Amino acid sequence: MSVVTIFLAGATMFVLAIVFSFILEWANTAFHVEVDPRIDAVFDALPGANCGGCGYIGCREYAEAVVAGEMVDKCVVGGASCAEALAQIMGVSVNQSYPSRPIVHCGAHLEDRLGRSAYTGERRCAAANLVADVQGCTYGCLGFGDCEEACNYDAIHVIDGLATVDYEKCVGCGACARACPRNIITITPFKADRVLAVTCSNKDKGKDVKKVCKVGCIGCGACARTSSLFKLENNLSTIDYDEYSPECSADVLKACEKCPRHRLVFVGKPTADDLAKTSDIEAPDVVEPDFKTTVDDTEWRG
Amino acid sequence: MNYLIDILLIAVSAALINNFVLYYFVGICPFIGVSRQIDMAVGMGLAVTFVMCIAAFLSWTVTTFILIPGALLSKLVAGFFVSPEAASKVDLTILSYIVYIFAIAASVQFVEMYVRRFFPALYKSFGVFLPLITTNCAILFACLTIMSHVAGVDNPADAWDLGRALTLAFFGGIGFTIAIVIMAGIREELDFCDIPQCMKGPAITLVVAGLLSMAFMGFTGVDSGLKKALKSRSVKNAALEMKIENYDVTSVPGTARAHMKNMIASKEHPCLS
Repeated sequence: MSVVTIFLAGATMFVLAIVFSFILEWANTAFHVEVDPRIDAVFDALPGANCGGCGYIGCREYAEAVVAGEMVDKCVVGGASCAEALAQIMGVSVNQSYPSRPIVHCGAHLEDRLGRSAYTGERRCAAANLVADVQGCTYGCLGFGDCEEACNYDAIHVIDGLATVDYEKCVGCGACARACPRNIITITPFKADRVLAVTCSNKDKGKDVKKVCKVGCIGCGACARTSSLFKLENNLSTIDYDEYSPECSADVLKACEKCPRHRLVFVGKPTADDLAKTSDIEAPDVVEPDFKTTVDDTEWRG
Repeated sequence: MNYLIDILLIAVSAALINNFVLYYFVGICPFIGVSRQIDMAVGMGLAVTFVMCIAAFLSWTVTTFILIPGALLSKLVAGFFVSPEAASKVDLTILSYIVYIFAIAASVQFVEMYVRRFFPALYKSFGVFLPLITTNCAILFACLTIMSHVAGVDNPADAWDLGRALTLAFFGGIGFTIAIVIMAGIREELDFCDIPQCMKGPAITLVVAGLLSMAFMGFTGVDSGLKKALKSRSVKNAALEMKIENYDVTSVPGTARAHMKNMIASKEHPCLS
């Protein structure tokens, strides 16, 4: 390849670049579209995770909606700081916003569940949910981990048959709640790092609940009688989170103690006390998977 | 006449027989991605056609006047530095890929601005797929096909002119539109079908695409048949014109002459068959 060829190649690209840039420059002004500059500003302030936690397809769509008058505190990934930034751009005041986090409304581990029968079908909750008699409780967690699969942040795991949220990692996008076929995961505003929750979803009468679960809410109403925070609906204790305050009053704590099934528990990030309690327990940082088949070689027929 | 036949053959070949999507399997990404609704598919097809025409025009111009050995501009510029013989041998076809991608990217940008300005609804429904036309290999394929017919020919007289290049691009785009619209129509109907669980989604889509491709194989051979028919007709016409020229009408007297003139004009004279 001669020097002339190299020179001409360079010159060709240079000239083409100039010509195209001139054409595009002209087109840019000729076909200019007025876009609200706030949309770009809002878009830049958003985290850009495109997770859909706000209810819109992506961050761009949410930015457009915000400029059109949508609430500024919908972004669950960005949290309070993001809402503040958006409020500043839009010139509105932001209400006190709380991070949304999922709560699994089931507290029964495998040994607590009664009436389970062998299930050899597809190992997914959505499939198992279609089959009767997989387990006695028709409300509770199935434990096949559809939520675990749906989570992009490695923040929910099935531990001992029960979906358990890792609140340190959770961003509150709500993918687990959408994946759960039994709708036992609710996205709740966390007014503190730890909030009180009713970890049961069973709406049956107490007698029926006792048949299928060792720990399920029997709808006795002890909590509702002790504190006005709890209401008994369909044989199930519920908490009105609008009324809930992070500093639990004495009657609320008393109600927690009174609950015969101990279904009123705090969920959320571990407190300093909890961490101190478990600090001396040795746990490996990373658990390596053990890829050994449980199938006996002699029986394996492919 | 030969030129028109050529154009016709290129058009039929690009649109149906050697359909870019269903024969060469290029441009599959938008073919699968934007074929959910017919109106969006039509919009995508037209956008691709438009970009393809612009890109074909640009790439044909650049190839003919700059890239091929002995091209007008490169010969002129190189003439300042080296001897005329060496100048006419400067081969810039190594640049083809980068120049075509460059031209495609620029024309996609242009189309994006244009659509955004004048068809906001279409712009919204395209979403991410409009910028993705940049990487639509169907367009690069059209450019490279044109290049192979401009730079890859032994005899410079056989090189494609702009008309042929634009015909290929336009009807290639039309072929893409046909394929994607048929696909969208089928997929709209598929939504109401009772599809086995294991075949839902991408699986059935790919099966449908394969069947469609096989259906388009039915066009194979149409071009050679068409070519034969058109060529023989044109040969006949050429012979006809030659005979009419050689026929001395003045030698026939009176009304017979007038009658013969009419017959010749309507090409029905027995001696011409």
